[in-house]
Amino acid sequence: MPPDKSEILQGTLDLMVLKTLDAMGPLHGYGIARRIEQLSDDVLHLNQGTIYASLLRLIQRGWIKSEWGVSDNNRKAKFYSLTRSGRKQLDAQAKNWRRISGIMGRLLSLARS
Amino acid sequence: MFAALRTAASRLLGLFKKSPHQDFGEELHSHLSMLTEENLRRGMTPDEAIRHAHLTLGNLALLQEIQHDRQSLPQVETLFHDIRYAFRTLRRSPGFTLVAVLTLALGIGVNTTLFTAFDAIALKPLPVKDSAHVIRIERWFESGSQGNRQYFFSYPEYVYYRDHASAFSTLTAVSWQVPAIAYLSSGSTPERVAGELIADNYFSSLGVDALLGRTFLPEETRTPGTHPVIVLSYPFWRARCNSDPQILGRTIRLSDTAFTVIGVTSQHFIGTGNPPQVPDFWASIMMQSELLPGQDYLHRPNVPFLKLFGRLAPGISPKNAQSEMLVIARQFQHANPARDKTVAITLEPATFFGETNSLHFRAFVILLMFLVGMVLLIACANLANMLLARAAGRHREIAIRLALGAGRARLIRQLLTESVLLSLIGGAVGLLFAIWASRLLWISLQEILQSLLWSNVTLAVNLSPDIRIFAYALAVSLITGILFGLAPALQSSKRDVAFGQASKRSRLRSFLLAGQIAVSMLLLITAGLLVRGLVRSQNADPGFETRRVFLVRGDYGADPSKTTALFRRVVERLENLPQVQSLTLVERPPMTGTWTLYLRVEQTHAAKPHDRTLANRVSPTYFSTLAVPILRGRTFSRQESETSAPVAIVSETTARRLWPGEDPLGKHVQLDLTFHGQWTQFEIIGVSKDVRTANLSRIDPAYFYLPTGLPQLNTILIRTIDDAKNTRAAIRASIESLDKALQASFSMSSLEEAVVSKQRLLSKTYAMFASMLATLALALAGVGIYGVMSYLVSRQVREIGIRIALGATARDVVATVVREGLRPVFIGAVAGLAAAAGVSTILRATLTFPGATDLLFGVSVFDPLTFLGLSAFLALVASVASAIPARRATQVDPMEALRYE
Repeated sequence: MPPDKSEILQGTLDLMVLKTLDAMGPLHGYGIARRIEQLSDDVLHLNQGTIYASLLRLIQRGWIKSEWGVSDNNRKAKFYSLTRSGRKQLDAQAKNWRRISGIMGRLLSLARS
Repeated sequence: MFAALRTAASRLLGLFKKSPHQDFGEELHSHLSMLTEENLRRGMTPDEAIRHAHLTLGNLALLQEIQHDRQSLPQVETLFHDIRYAFRTLRRSPGFTLVAVLTLALGIGVNTTLFTAFDAIALKPLPVKDSAHVIRIERWFESGSQGNRQYFFSYPEYVYYRDHASAFSTLTAVSWQVPAIAYLSSGSTPERVAGELIADNYFSSLGVDALLGRTFLPEETRTPGTHPVIVLSYPFWRARCNSDPQILGRTIRLSDTAFTVIGVTSQHFIGTGNPPQVPDFWASIMMQSELLPGQDYLHRPNVPFLKLFGRLAPGISPKNAQSEMLVIARQFQHANPARDKTVAITLEPATFFGETNSLHFRAFVILLMFLVGMVLLIACANLANMLLARAAGRHREIAIRLALGAGRARLIRQLLTESVLLSLIGGAVGLLFAIWASRLLWISLQEILQSLLWSNVTLAVNLSPDIRIFAYALAVSLITGILFGLAPALQSSKRDVAFGQASKRSRLRSFLLAGQIAVSMLLLITAGLLVRGLVRSQNADPGFETRRVFLVRGDYGADPSKTTALFRRVVERLENLPQVQSLTLVERPPMTGTWTLYLRVEQTHAAKPHDRTLANRVSPTYFSTLAVPILRGRTFSRQESETSAPVAIVSETTARRLWPGEDPLGKHVQLDLTFHGQWTQFEIIGVSKDVRTANLSRIDPAYFYLPTGLPQLNTILIRTIDDAKNTRAAIRASIESLDKALQASFSMSSLEEAVVSKQRLLSKTYAMFASMLATLALALAGVGIYGVMSYLVSRQVREIGIRIALGATARDVVATVVREGLRPVFIGAVAGLAAAAGVSTILRATLTFPGATDLLFGVSVFDPLTFLGLSAFLALVASVASAIPARRATQVDPMEALRYE
């Protein structure tokens, strides 16, 4: 079986969600999805439903928590925020990601001989 | 790892959360609205905005479903569904459920009861620290003699082992219970107590702590007679000292020595007895001659009175320890020759009952397990039959579910859930039954034990259900549920469940049914005979006076020099009391044990095994005191009595058997009093009336009364002028004033209450147990017949329909069904009758031993009333059990049946 693309995306999506929450503070599902799309200059077009699978996974691992609140335009929405262990996890994963991307970068910049 | 745990926990919680579904729906809804607003802001039309929002978010229903699956455990949820469905199904047919649960409860209950007893006897460890490593030392004799004596060693032996064995990290010793007369405080009335003598390291090596005060200090256990201190047991402290918190330092007089209480053990420590009996106190072995005056156990190498416990040294295997011990035991015996040599030493785990590792015990347990296992198996077979019959009735439901796309595995799971649920309910009821029944069993066992051993032993047995018993009941229930549920589930979930197949299976079913009927027939008849015996036992007349004859017992002390003198004084005092009409001395009072001797009439012929007779040594007044008439000749003279003259009085039956049609007086007979073939000749001087001395169940088949003098005649029987209360009180007061020690131990009970009523109780117990077993077997057999018949009927619905359509009458239909169903019943009943006749023959064979109890009290072992009556009864039960399904067969609507399937 060839590697599933969504599978690869999933791993990175969790990290994206964590980082978004870290940078922006408490945010609802729509806000997270929009923020990720904007940051990728709308290159990355999410099927926004997948964000909820990621959110549930993170909640079940205890890395984020949720709370009902009111959005900017006065709409009832569920707000997600990082927990302390989520922040630790983010640091670890970011470090790991940087290392891998560094290796990948160096690997890919090797000149053809 | 931790994250995975959190996930699992959160999923589990998700199962119980009220409605995560609704919550998520709201969240998605809010997300959609935000998307729509955004789209509107970008200038889309409202319709387009909504459509676009849906596109961006994805399939809502799918999202919700995925979310739901992730938030909970789908497997578990299906299980919940199955359980809920199973409950509903079971509630719909309460009759079936009730019968099934009761059948299972009986089967599982009986098994768990046995296991409870086994657990208490063989598995529960001693209540000491690190009990798994405590071992008990057992020895094996050259003569092959076995029993309690295998556990006992003398004090010098213990010391030698302790000092020479290297295999043990610690070796300690404790005596059997030593009786003593105690004065709990100065001026109080004396009481009988029993304590254990222990080696210095007994408490410390077992890790037993004191609840109050302390246990022994090393210096208190080193020198003979110097430290009169005792530790009390918790039950004694609570019951006899009223839990007195000031008990420490109190003086208790034991056998004329003042002992100081230094501690009370914790309530969990019930001693290391085998069988478990909690002593009243513990004292050092060094105080032996103070507690048992006139005896010296400390310096005699051949007085075994200590049980040895130990812990193996680290790294030593039990095998090595055993061989080392044997070498040491041989060395000891070399220096101190014993009459019966020790040829082997074994170590066994120190459980409460010895011998639990022996082959005999194991075989016995396996046999019992097999028997009760059979009961459970029968219950399983019955339920399987009933389920099969039901499954045939649920054919339509199952077909619909298969047609709707349920997988076979899913269906089997559903059906198994149902049967396991049944068996778990049955198991729970069975467990309750077992807790109750094991208590009852224990009480009866204790009663039997007491009347057999002729003592008031109280065994401290812990029957409270522990984790092992719960686990056992659960495991048995689960296995049972799968066992009886699997076959029906497999069969009924087949897509092509066809009629009229699997003839092999039904042969097995018939075989099971026949076996079951045979067992219940056997049990029924055995119980029937025992019940007939019970009825007779209640009116059985021993033939001698029992209400006005009293058994007088007392503790005359341990010192042999004083005992005889005190005994003589008591006899003299009693003889002179106005309330005492007559007094006699016997070696063994009626119904308290027998003495069976070989006899031969002519010098030449060797004794055959059946030439045996019961015998007893009595004083000349025996016959007048018990009101047993001397029919011919005379009783012993005083001189014959004191010189143990070679004369004898025999019972009528004995005379008739040995000298038919002749005058027995003046005849000679030889008895082997020593069991070693040393014959002594006796002359018959009298013939007494036939009575029941050995036991209440039958006239003694042969009985010799022999004369002897005082030291051997150690029990007093008196006949009083009446059995009024104040007569007894007067006698008691007069004897108690004779000696302080007697005050504590004096007891006086009529033969009626002391022995006869116990014998009646015993036969009642036997009959009760047999009846319970028979009722159980009968109930199971009834259910079995019902199950098979129902199955047959449900299998043949179409055939019956056709036959009714073709003009068969209800009678014809019933006849066919019943004939087929009852054939195995008939075969089983015949087999059961044969087996019962076999048991009867064995029962009769046991009666050739003169002292054996006739459990039937004279009812013929082939009593026709019992055999025929109970056969008829079983037939009746069988017909009732088959009548209900047979009636259902006659009510088959031909049209319905033909349309069926």
